[in-house]
Amino acid sequence: MQGPVMPADFLDRFSRGNTVCHRMPARLKIVLTLSVIFVSIVLPASYWPAQGCLACLVFAALSLAEIPIAYLARRILLILPLVLMTALAAPLSHGFASGWETAFGIVFRTLVAFLAALWLVNTTPFDRLLAGLCRLGMPRLFATLLAFVYRYLFVLFDELARMRTAQRARTFGPGPVKTAWKSRVQLVGTLLIRALDRAERVHGAMCARGWRGKMHSLN
Amino acid sequence: MSHAAVSILKVDHLSYRYPSGQLALCDVSFSVGMHEVVGLVGPNGAGKTTLLLHLNGLLTGTRQAPAGSAAQSGPGADNAPSAPVEVLGMPVVPANFPEVRRIVGFLFQDPDDQLFCPTVRNDVAFGPMNLEFPLDEVVRRVDEALTAVGLADLGERSPRELSFGEKRRVCLAGVLACEPSLLALDEPSSNLDPRARRGVIDILKECAAAKIIASHDLELVLELCGRVLVLDQGRIHADGPALEILADERLMSRHGLEVPLSIRLAARREA
Repeated sequence: MQGPVMPADFLDRFSRGNTVCHRMPARLKIVLTLSVIFVSIVLPASYWPAQGCLACLVFAALSLAEIPIAYLARRILLILPLVLMTALAAPLSHGFASGWETAFGIVFRTLVAFLAALWLVNTTPFDRLLAGLCRLGMPRLFATLLAFVYRYLFVLFDELARMRTAQRARTFGPGPVKTAWKSRVQLVGTLLIRALDRAERVHGAMCARGWRGKMHSLN
Repeated sequence: MSHAAVSILKVDHLSYRYPSGQLALCDVSFSVGMHEVVGLVGPNGAGKTTLLLHLNGLLTGTRQAPAGSAAQSGPGADNAPSAPVEVLGMPVVPANFPEVRRIVGFLFQDPDDQLFCPTVRNDVAFGPMNLEFPLDEVVRRVDEALTAVGLADLGERSPRELSFGEKRRVCLAGVLACEPSLLALDEPSSNLDPRARRGVIDILKECAAAKIIASHDLELVLELCGRVLVLDQGRIHADGPALEILADERLMSRHGLEVPLSIRLAARREA
């Protein structure tokens, strides 16, 4: 038996801590995070002192928020293949002389941006984050959508995990490749149908409590 | 009818066909009095959930009994088809949905369907917010409902972080926060461990609203309900005092049910 595909607190395990960072207003954190990312992108990659300062700033913020290094490292490992592939394209296309520096710049900036974003979501509970984004001018409808994605993404992942377990329980040996792919396709199809059914039930549950098309929030 | 004055819910010759054409409910009639607690039992696929969904207009059936059925419609029922379900004398039609849904609270079977907000407090507040109460009234209701289900300190949690039993109780809080006069409960004890089940039963006992409880948990029905309806293949086959109906072995087995163990044990002890 293997655990859920993605545990429910995968991205924001530490968002309910109580450090200086957690107590900062959400809006301020959003603006700070976006500015760090923006500055890191705008500054030339070759201007190392500034880039280094940014990285130090992000690391200081992460340690202030008491987010464990091991947790961050595991999340970085997940996106690293993607980043490295993109970065490798630079020396291959630009030639090796200047390419390596570009590649290094890509990796460095992506990691700074990624860590800054992790800091944001791990110091701000999601509902506060959404409320903050709304106050900064994000349309409410968009916030509602994001709230639903955040709520049901993991429910769907769990459903997928359960279906896969059930499928494995009745699969004996590897079997022919064609059958394996066929059952994978069926799995996705079933998941889609179940998701649609659930959407209908959720809508019913919303109507049952007086939903008339406008999402209110307590915050 | 003198009875109508005290009934909170009246279902009159309700029939419903699924879009696929399958008949789900056939000539269902009953009424529920103020503060009455009614159990709705029957085998899987009997139409229990479908019936409950009619009580607040999530589904809307028709009044006439389908052609060919042995139903006895009242005179004039066919040429004046009105809404087959009435809540506090109000027909359940789209114009009345907001009011009807304020009166009828609905507990769904899967808590994940009902808890869609980012935090517990926001979810419990969803109903009162939609009813457009002032903020302090909303906060009062949320605090009261969360206290009533014993989860006052979980307000800031995300629904994903809760156990199944806690989720079910938050769902109940979300319904209670609307202060409904009639509760429609779909399998309130399913998938709960004994302690969580007991918790739900105690909460329901505390709540004075009329209730209609669809459940396979016949011991729960016996404990909470004074009256029981047996629904099978979309029809009501029995309607009477809970003890009488649940103890009727032939009736129970004919409809895929069984006499609760507590009744059998009590009978054995008497013999």
